[in-house]
Amino acid sequence: MEDMKLVSDASLVVAIGRWQQDALAEAYRRHSGSVFALARGVLRTSAMAEEVVQEIFMRLWNSPERFDPERGSLRSWLLAQAHGRAIDLVRADNSRRRREERDYQRAAIAEYDIQTEVEHVIVAEHIRDAMSSLNDGERQAIELAYFGGHTYRQVATMLGEPEGTIKSRIRSGLVGLRQGLVRAGIEQL
Amino acid sequence: MNPLSHQDIEELLGAYALDAVDESEANEIEFHLRDCPRCRSMVAEFRDTASHLASGHGPAPVAVWDAIIGDLDAGEHRGFNLAPVIPLRRRWPIRAISGIAAAAVIAISGLTVQAISQGNRLREMEATIQDRGILSAALSAMANPDARQVELRSADGVVFANVVITADGTGFLRRESLNPLPDDRTYQLWAVTGTGLISAGVLGPNPDVVPFQMAGEIIGFAVTEEIAGGVVTSQNQPIATGLIVNA
Repeated sequence: MEDMKLVSDASLVVAIGRWQQDALAEAYRRHSGSVFALARGVLRTSAMAEEVVQEIFMRLWNSPERFDPERGSLRSWLLAQAHGRAIDLVRADNSRRRREERDYQRAAIAEYDIQTEVEHVIVAEHIRDAMSSLNDGERQAIELAYFGGHTYRQVATMLGEPEGTIKSRIRSGLVGLRQGLVRAGIEQL
Repeated sequence: MNPLSHQDIEELLGAYALDAVDESEANEIEFHLRDCPRCRSMVAEFRDTASHLASGHGPAPVAVWDAIIGDLDAGEHRGFNLAPVIPLRRRWPIRAISGIAAAAVIAISGLTVQAISQGNRLREMEATIQDRGILSAALSAMANPDARQVELRSADGVVFANVVITADGTGFLRRESLNPLPDDRTYQLWAVTGTGLISAGVLGPNPDVVPFQMAGEIIGFAVTEEIAGGVVTSQNQPIATGLIVNA
């Protein structure tokens, strides 16, 4: 039997399409940590994050054909699926959001502390450096949108800024973050 | 509300990649991405960048994997829907379906169609399942550079299904957002040709990934909702259509 640890992500998905559970297990081994961390970062509870992880990997098992390798990596696809699902849950839970967004907004303004949840020191350090290279406005806009579950319009209202300014900050922030990750060797041009 | 310009959409791609746009904006952007590889590439890059914010972790809690295994053992797995293909053994006038009437002519003439008996095809399909699996075959077809792919969209732009067809006429329909029908109804796939519409198969009330076989010069596909068992001639407006765009 093929050693799944040696195959590419795209080949894992093909194997999952053939009902090979060891392929799903390998995909889980590679990516579940990031999926869980992202879901927990958005949902703020481990229990709900675990449910999102389970749902996303069952979605991969049941519908592997939904992953299009031409549109990005398996990791990006899993994280986009998880983020979308987590955001749906956040937006459906308005009362919890109103309570937590005040705390989260303070955290976004005061300091970037998401690295406290990152176990891999080297990667975490590079990400910290890349995020630190952004200005406060860019970092705050990305945090409130990505982890706070807010639309750019809502972020604009919360911060008392024009919508166009927030759109620009998110875009320039992501560009800046990518440049930082390229410099660190985590991403390629 | 006026449609978004290309520049408007470009300005929104960062927020879109973070799931931070309104539903109406998301729909417009998704429609635009269908035909703009540059913007698709930008979105993929933004999402990849954002994904690193969750980097550097070990596996998720063991209990999650245990729960997944529990679902797998309980039989929570995809099933196959083998579409019985309506055998076409003679020519007949096909009524034009509105919405793709510009591309269809009622009479079929000089068209070569492979008639496939349900029994033989099912035996072929069962063999395919044993060897590769329909999903694996569909993925292989998608990766085939010579294959043609088309999104079947509703009138308001929602992608209901994707179709891929290879040079030898082997095709697969993959559901995107078709809602399940009652047991007395079915979806039916039609191939749009230069001279008319031909049934490509009855998809069943709740199709997932469905294989079919179709030869001839095909320029598009359409899906209709019919009574269970399908029809020879459709009287219904298609719920989704798509024309094949040559690369």
